[in-house]
Amino acid sequence: MTISTIEVTPSDLKKGRGNVERQAYLKTLISQRAEFGAEVPAWVKEVRDRNLTLIQDQALPSNRTEEWRFTDPSSLYKIPFQPAAATVTAEQIQAHSWPDVAIRLVFVNGVFAPGLSHQTEVSGLQITTLQNLDDSFQAYLGKTHGSEEVFTALNGCNFKDAAVLKVDRNQVIETPIHLLFVSAAQGETPTVAYPRVLVVAETGSTVTLVEDFVSIGAQTFTNAVAEIFLAANAQVNHIRLQREEATAFHIGKTAVSQKRDSRYRSIALSLGGQLSRHNPEIVTEEQTETILDGLTLATDSQVADTHSALTFSQAHCQAQQLHKCIVDDHARAVFNGRIFVPKAAQQTNAAQLSRNLLLSPKARVDTKPQLEIVADDVKCAHGATVSQLEDDEVFYLQSRGLDHDNACDLLVKAFAAEILEKISIPSIRKGLLEDVLSRLR
Amino acid sequence: MTASVKTLVNQPYKYGFVTDIEVDTIPRGLSEDVIRMISAKKKEPEFMLEFRLKAYKQWQKMTEPDWPHVHYPAIDYQDISYYTAPKEQEKKKSLDEVDPTLLETFEKLGIPLSEQKRLSNVAVDAVFDSVSVATTFREQLAKDGVIFCSISEALIDYPELVQKYLGSVVPVGDNFFSALNSAVFSDGSFVYIPKGTKCPMELSTYFRINTEGAGQFERTLIIAEEGSSVSYLEGCTAPMFDTNQLHAAVVELVALDDADIKYSTVQNWYAGDENGKGGIYNFVTKRGLCAGKNSKISWTQVETGSAITWKYPSCVLVGDNSVGEFYSVALTNNMQQADTGTKMVHVGKNTRSTIISKGISAGRSQNSYRGLVKMGPKAKGARNYSQCDSMLIGSDAEANTFPYIQVQNHTAKVEHEASTSKIGEDQLFYFAQRGISMEDAVSMMISGFCKDVFNQLPMEFAVEADRLLSLKLEGSVG
Repeated sequence: MTISTIEVTPSDLKKGRGNVERQAYLKTLISQRAEFGAEVPAWVKEVRDRNLTLIQDQALPSNRTEEWRFTDPSSLYKIPFQPAAATVTAEQIQAHSWPDVAIRLVFVNGVFAPGLSHQTEVSGLQITTLQNLDDSFQAYLGKTHGSEEVFTALNGCNFKDAAVLKVDRNQVIETPIHLLFVSAAQGETPTVAYPRVLVVAETGSTVTLVEDFVSIGAQTFTNAVAEIFLAANAQVNHIRLQREEATAFHIGKTAVSQKRDSRYRSIALSLGGQLSRHNPEIVTEEQTETILDGLTLATDSQVADTHSALTFSQAHCQAQQLHKCIVDDHARAVFNGRIFVPKAAQQTNAAQLSRNLLLSPKARVDTKPQLEIVADDVKCAHGATVSQLEDDEVFYLQSRGLDHDNACDLLVKAFAAEILEKISIPSIRKGLLEDVLSRLR
Repeated sequence: MTASVKTLVNQPYKYGFVTDIEVDTIPRGLSEDVIRMISAKKKEPEFMLEFRLKAYKQWQKMTEPDWPHVHYPAIDYQDISYYTAPKEQEKKKSLDEVDPTLLETFEKLGIPLSEQKRLSNVAVDAVFDSVSVATTFREQLAKDGVIFCSISEALIDYPELVQKYLGSVVPVGDNFFSALNSAVFSDGSFVYIPKGTKCPMELSTYFRINTEGAGQFERTLIIAEEGSSVSYLEGCTAPMFDTNQLHAAVVELVALDDADIKYSTVQNWYAGDENGKGGIYNFVTKRGLCAGKNSKISWTQVETGSAITWKYPSCVLVGDNSVGEFYSVALTNNMQQADTGTKMVHVGKNTRSTIISKGISAGRSQNSYRGLVKMGPKAKGARNYSQCDSMLIGSDAEANTFPYIQVQNHTAKVEHEASTSKIGEDQLFYFAQRGISMEDAVSMMISGFCKDVFNQLPMEFAVEADRLLSLKLEGSVG
């Protein structure tokens, strides 16, 4: 497959605003993609080529695109990101590992690093990468809904490697699996990485997954895609952590496909990045359960965006979503939660709540919970709140002998803890609670 | 709904008749000449023509927005007649000189204009197609210094007032339809309440579209000076035609210090038949400016008609401690589409707003709530509470909510709640058990659902609105 190129001058990149510039920037990124070696099956190459055709003539979004209205991505286009290799030491990885998680797969700039990973054999669980990938995955890779979205397709076109997990029928995997994606920039080179995850949970299986994004170095751009397939009655607990450096760019997609009676619950944390965006997209079949929890923490001049979309395609589904944002300094948080209940999805019971805490006069929140309902026999509710810490509550704690700062800290901690407490792995729960508090100080 | 619930017969639209009257209409199409012609016909002052031409120039550069959740075939703006007026003799001095056919029409609509039959406590401005035909109680209102007349008369009698405020709340180029309206608007109502005056009676405008192929572009301007208060009502109907008609109005409200404006709408344009043929496209820009301290603007709307309703009565809360309110019932049946809601823009300190929206969708209709609550950086201590509930009747109806919440001030407090439900089989059964027929049960549940909004309407209209809803819904439960 050939890639047509447009001449891009550095001054074009600086502007990063017009349609032509955004198209050119995308073309540059595409032109940098590395070809696969012979050990990668031919059908994986076809998946990439299919995505290439999808975005060949598209342009990256600007803040005039409705979906990006509140999150201006133009600062991303001003930096000439390119793929690069980087060396990451075991010590650097150690700093980001969790003691009670036995299986750890490390990917540096989207490529598997066996030397840094730690695996134990677990029966019923297959862990592989793209090399010599089984043909049985052909039915899954790149097959989730919404893959035509431009950043998803960009990953689909450029990914170099992937973490591939499969849980066999009726297997309950007790050990959580830690997928650590390190985006590392060596020296001053702005580096882009395209991490990709594919999870297949067979009928009746259970697995817990920790998808973890960190970055090293000044300028990194992570464009991640995770595809998760739940077969009938499967259960996936998904913890997604985005704790990159404050200078990083992160755009991630989690595409989930739920078959009947399956149960997906996710806790997504967005802590780092100067510009970060997470798009969870879930499509469910009959009688499924979906629980989405999210916590966004934005300080300094961070912009953190969560755009979730939940579509019920059949009847009797349950869903609960709670998204919380804590915004300090002159940071900005964006939440857009779409719940779509078509006519077929009778007896749906869905609730969505967006709660936002503003800690400084310059902080800003844009939230848009969104219900689209065609079925008549459903129960759907959503709510949104935005406020600062309640004076009464602070006063109450002060009357109990806490000073003002401690009282505020305690209240913020409690606000965050509602989400963090739901994490089932003790070391992660504890570690993150401390991390969140230290970021706010 | 299950088959156990019987189907009732649809109530026909009773305002669907056409009045046979000779009209003065200009050829279809829009150009600078047409605008000059409208302006000349109305003998407007020079500044008005400039205002129109400026708007037209901007409109030409704009494109029709496509973000609302409604679908309709492209409108041919050259196929609309922009000015239609009943032919009449010289300027009427009193009601006796108004064409009796017109009086009869309004009588038929339940709006008696003649001296003997007038509603005792409501002053009415009746707008027929493009022009105002009569305004009642003008002299009596003038005794209190209240000006209530058509905007064309105001342009001639009080040009400086109109010039000062027209376009100050909804700028000419605000959006595609407001620009079009600014270029071609033909008539509408003008209200001026002087300082410290409480308007002694309800003011009301009744809009009637009569001619096929005509668009209606009215413009309403209400100015409440310091410490004054007014309650204003508007009602609308149109005959049944197979073709769609465009109604693009602009309403501007200005409330100065301590002023209070209450604006109520009962909208019952022709909605098209059950297959969605015909009906009015109701694309309206309504905005109120709380310019002064402690001012208050309250919108109440009952939207039952129109093939497509697309409007967001808004409040811009500039004055400190000003208050904005929005109470809405939007009912869609058959193939109707509605994308309606409000915008509350908090600019000043301690501004407060309340949004209560009730959407009922039946048949194959689509009903969307879309609302914006924006807390500006200086809106210290601002407060908003929004509640939007939807009720679905029948499995083909659609209800959506799109609330936009933008907060740039940490002391502001915003709450939003939304829910969707249906009239449950068990609720109906409970009523049946108590010997209440299904139809009565449904209408009781609906009026209970809408009570929060109906309570805000002036007395006579609350009763009217309640009856209107149950009429509109007949036959949809099945």
